[in-house]
Amino acid sequence: MKRIGTVLLVMLMLVGFAGTVFAGGTSEKANPIKLGAVWPLGDITGAQSSKAAQLAVDEINAAGGVLGRQLKLTVIDSELKPEKGAAALERLATVDHADIFVGGMSSAVALAEVPIFKKYQKVTVWTGAASSTVEKAIGPDANWFFHLHPWDYEQGESYVKGWEAIAKKYPQVKLGKWFLAYENGPFGTSSFAASKSLYAAIGTMEGESFKSAATGGGDYTSVIEHAKRANPDVFIWAGFDADALPIMQQAKAMNFAPPLFIGAPPGWPADFGKSPLSKDVVLYGMWAPSMSNVNPVSKHFYDAYVKKYNEPPATYFAPLSYSAIYIVKDAIERAGSLDKAALIKALEETKYESPLGQTITFGPSNIIQHQGIRGQKILQYQKGVQEVIWPFEYKTADLVYPFPGWNNR
Amino acid sequence: MAVRRLELVMTKWNRPRYWVIGGSSLAVAVLLLIFRPYVLISGLQSAGLYAAIALPMALILGIVGIVNLAHGEFLMVGAYLAYFFNATMGVGPLASIVPVVVLMVALGIGTYRVSIRKVLAAPELNQLLLTFGISMVLSQLVNLIATSQPRSVSMSYATVSATIGSTSFGVFDFVYDVLAVLILVGLQLFLKRTRSGKAAVAVGQNPTGARLVGINVDGTYLLVFSIAIGILGILGPIFLVRHSVFPMVGGAYTMKSFSLVAMAGIGNLTAILWCSLALGMAEAFIKSFQGYGDWGDIVFFLMIIVVILVRARRTS
Repeated sequence: MKRIGTVLLVMLMLVGFAGTVFAGGTSEKANPIKLGAVWPLGDITGAQSSKAAQLAVDEINAAGGVLGRQLKLTVIDSELKPEKGAAALERLATVDHADIFVGGMSSAVALAEVPIFKKYQKVTVWTGAASSTVEKAIGPDANWFFHLHPWDYEQGESYVKGWEAIAKKYPQVKLGKWFLAYENGPFGTSSFAASKSLYAAIGTMEGESFKSAATGGGDYTSVIEHAKRANPDVFIWAGFDADALPIMQQAKAMNFAPPLFIGAPPGWPADFGKSPLSKDVVLYGMWAPSMSNVNPVSKHFYDAYVKKYNEPPATYFAPLSYSAIYIVKDAIERAGSLDKAALIKALEETKYESPLGQTITFGPSNIIQHQGIRGQKILQYQKGVQEVIWPFEYKTADLVYPFPGWNNR
Repeated sequence: MAVRRLELVMTKWNRPRYWVIGGSSLAVAVLLLIFRPYVLISGLQSAGLYAAIALPMALILGIVGIVNLAHGEFLMVGAYLAYFFNATMGVGPLASIVPVVVLMVALGIGTYRVSIRKVLAAPELNQLLLTFGISMVLSQLVNLIATSQPRSVSMSYATVSATIGSTSFGVFDFVYDVLAVLILVGLQLFLKRTRSGKAAVAVGQNPTGARLVGINVDGTYLLVFSIAIGILGILGPIFLVRHSVFPMVGGAYTMKSFSLVAMAGIGNLTAILWCSLALGMAEAFIKSFQGYGDWGDIVFFLMIIVVILVRARRTS
């Protein structure tokens, strides 16, 4: 009996060993190319990013994959927490053996992820992080890091450029006096620091911080009162989506209606457009669903997303993440392998006509070697829909000016 | 009887220090009304919110003797339930108060029976760990079900405005002040005028003695805990009207409520109101200076530290 047991054990071990040998011996083509992504899945930006990225992966795989291999996307939730984001990357590198990192949303999370990026130095195509603090942390030597989202100063430059163009086209628009209400975390404070010098070209900028609802705040009374006293031509708030509706409610209650009311959170609540308080609020973003009416690539993305998920993509992070996957796919094809040096060279040659409107290429920014998109667009909520106001080549509607006040809503 | 009671109240308040406190408070209020009316308005509104949320925590701490670190999370659950009724059935937050209170009382009963009652005799650290665990379970459960995406509702009455001189302000947030007073009066009436309330006071003061005279101590704890969670069931839907809710929204209110209870003194429900008023006004005052918005929290906790230190010195 004991002998039979020993024989069975040996046979099992042989079968296991043979399985390992055959698995290892299978051609590389049978193995998928692993893309490891980190997004905050509870937030609309992350949820729609991961869906859009999966859409791109499915489209690519349905068309035969890349170099005869399928793409496999593994997404881990950062929960918008720096420590979770860092742990997610560590897991993607060590457990999931990701070939390439994609994803990203939130500068605070990215700051915690930078040491992990540097530890593994995998080719990374990152969709999030606007704070230039992250750029400093990445540094000039990280040739494997490709950053799609514009940095804060680039965003600021594009806004100034946009407002100058708008003021030229609509002479009634006044831009002399600005007031920026910003959340007191890294996102808000770096936005204010960057904006203060940038907006000097078109007007004077004063500002004040507030505690965001996302971090236990949510009382905007004093900051709105100060803005009201400053009587600005343009009022901007830079906080999070948790602030979007409450800040509008409080502005209405305090009868604060500047000629231009701008919101600049990284993502808006999905149903913000349904609120009557959203009417003619200006916002910044890279994309609006209405662009699908004027741009064929955007239309393809929009239709495919709605068909697959039965919901509209409501944040620019969706087409941005979709673009990230296609940029990676094109680069692998050009490189002909996953060899790091070849892949970096191929990514440097990227010319991707994106659903965001522009053709994405990489070049140096202030510090890093590979920066993709350099600016944002100026949009406006009109009849519950985000319309593109500037750049004029992507325009879907004219600017409504001045902000109409709070009567009848 | 009523005249005698009034005389007692008058005697109690007819002391020089109360006149000084009352007079100086009135003077500050008049000055604020003239020079910075929005400080007075914002301070009163914040005070109402803090007091309304802190009162149920004070009730639990005063009678059950447990620091409920899941307090803010219960508020968050109440707000999410109201959001659920609004999103799925179109029921407005105010109309959803009744079903939310029923559900929250059931949640309170369940939580007490399954967990709280098991640690009543345990060391305080274990009690803290348990309620901290409950807070984590509640927030993560909501995160799993509803994701961390902030939810809000757009109700026209949330932005009703009034104007005094050149200052326009929202009226809705005064609902917290009204609620805080109603909750306080309701709790005082319950504790002083009802049989169950008197039993609860007895249990809070001396549970062993209360048990010896035949009071159902466990039942009283259950009643008090459920009432407190039920009150959060009233506050949750109202909170939703003017705030975005997300799984982590409650943590800050647990912290502020606990600080207020510590400042007011355990079991002193009325003092919660005054302490909230002092803290709300101080916070609004410092924030009224442009560029000092971030000092609000510092002032809030600094005042609490000072009060606790002064009280500790007096006691010693």
